[in-house]
Amino acid sequence: MNRNQILCSLVTGISFLIGTITLSAQEISELPGAQLATQGLGRPYWHVFIAYAIAIGIVFFWVVSIGRRLSQIEKKIGN
Amino acid sequence: MRNYLRQIGTILWKDLLVEFRTRERLITMGAFVVLVAILFNYAIDWVRVSPEDIASGLVWMTIMFAGLLGVGRTFHLEAEDGAFQGILLSPVPKDAIFLAKALANFVFLYIVALLVVAVFMFFFGLEVSRNFGMLAIVIGLGVLAFVALGTLFTAVSTGTRMGDTLLPVLIFPLLAPVVIYGTGATSQFLAGRPLTEAEGSIKMLAAIALMAFFLGSLLFRFVVED
Amino acid sequence: MSSKKILLAGTVLAMIGLVWLGAVYWMSFFWVSTEVTQGIAQRIMYVHVPAAWTSFLAFGLAALFSAVYLWLRDERLDRAAVSAAEGGMVFATIMLTTGPLWGKIAWGTYWTWEPRLTLTLLLWFIFLGYFLVRSSTENPERGKRHAAVVAIVGALDIPFIHLSVIWFRSLHPEPVVIKAEGPTLPGDMLTTLLMSFGAFTVLFLGLFLLRYSLENLRSELDTRSRHASV
Repeated sequence: MNRNQILCSLVTGISFLIGTITLSAQEISELPGAQLATQGLGRPYWHVFIAYAIAIGIVFFWVVSIGRRLSQIEKKIGN
Repeated sequence: MRNYLRQIGTILWKDLLVEFRTRERLITMGAFVVLVAILFNYAIDWVRVSPEDIASGLVWMTIMFAGLLGVGRTFHLEAEDGAFQGILLSPVPKDAIFLAKALANFVFLYIVALLVVAVFMFFFGLEVSRNFGMLAIVIGLGVLAFVALGTLFTAVSTGTRMGDTLLPVLIFPLLAPVVIYGTGATSQFLAGRPLTEAEGSIKMLAAIALMAFFLGSLLFRFVVED
Repeated sequence: MSSKKILLAGTVLAMIGLVWLGAVYWMSFFWVSTEVTQGIAQRIMYVHVPAAWTSFLAFGLAALFSAVYLWLRDERLDRAAVSAAEGGMVFATIMLTTGPLWGKIAWGTYWTWEPRLTLTLLLWFIFLGYFLVRSSTENPERGKRHAAVVAIVGALDIPFIHLSVIWFRSLHPEPVVIKAEGPTLPGDMLTTLLMSFGAFTVLFLGLFLLRYSLENLRSELDTRSRHASV
């Protein structure tokens, strides 16, 4: 693996990490949610989580697609 | 300057002459307009909806789609026998070519747009006599904006593999203001409101048409250079 | 800057941006206080508004690079324009998906003809046209020129679209409208929002540079294969 590939996979890895943190944050923040849900605010949680997941998902998708295209080109230029 | 106008006039006259001899585009657009109106009759429950309420929107959408049909063919006839290369190679400036082409399109589409109003009047009893002059001006300004953007982007889409199918994707987002101000002013006229209410919309339509012609004559040279 | 340096700078910036975005996510989930009137749903603002800002920045850059490209005909400007336009599409998509999710709570419907939302949707389609023109023109040189024309006309049409969609709204008032961005945001909300602006902007710049160096490598590959065939 050359340096660029390593860098690409690092970027990909970090975005994975953030995605996982986001998903687990959902679970954790359900706890104070129990209090608020009694006030009729239960449903907004889902919308917030979906919105945040979509945002990171789209960024993640772009990072991966750039990384993949970069590594393909690097491979072609290499030989 | 006089020379410039004469060049525009020559190309414009050639286009009008070809069209009035073959009548291809006018017949297609005209038939499209009448047929769409017939289909509208069956698509809409006229017992519940009165024509004045939705006519302005239907008129503008019919003009837009008929315009797509007509403007999309701007360069086809010349592209087929390579005559367009000849025009590009002639010493006529590119913006003069653009203006002539756009004005020819304007003549065709304006005739069709007035036909749309007439068809709606005839089929659905639309009352336009009160403000017909202003209505003609509003539609004229909208059609000007349409043909300027349409001619520029037809030159773009003709060069692509997708051809005419790409044209609506390119121009419809740009024409949103034309539809919004056009239908706004038209529905005010149809409701018999005073002219002062539509003044803002007419000014905006004029500004959009002006900008579209300015941009078209500025950028057309980049589209056709090869 | 050599293309190696751009690639490195892009990677570093993108990583800073991603970590920063992670911090923003943490802040907006655990740290920032909940807004009183809208409750939890207001937190969507911390991704929605910065994404909107970034997409406008990106589209603006794309139109600017396109205009200068037509003027100077430097290939690098076209590469920058297409990279910025792709970023704009990405962030506009985030804006357009998170907006309705917030609207469902605040307005009761997914879609309202809110002027800025409508403007972004039309912009998205204008730049969809940009990419379609680029990819479907056989002569790449001509495709670049035509796409640049699409971007320039699109950018200059935006003031009109903006005015018209606002005017349309004034004709058809919505029953319930809660403005997300009040002029006075409490301190911690403002901090989170500004942090998020920073994160999105840095992330965009990093990924923009990566995308730009991708275009660089692509053209390098092109010239090599052309030399090889000669």
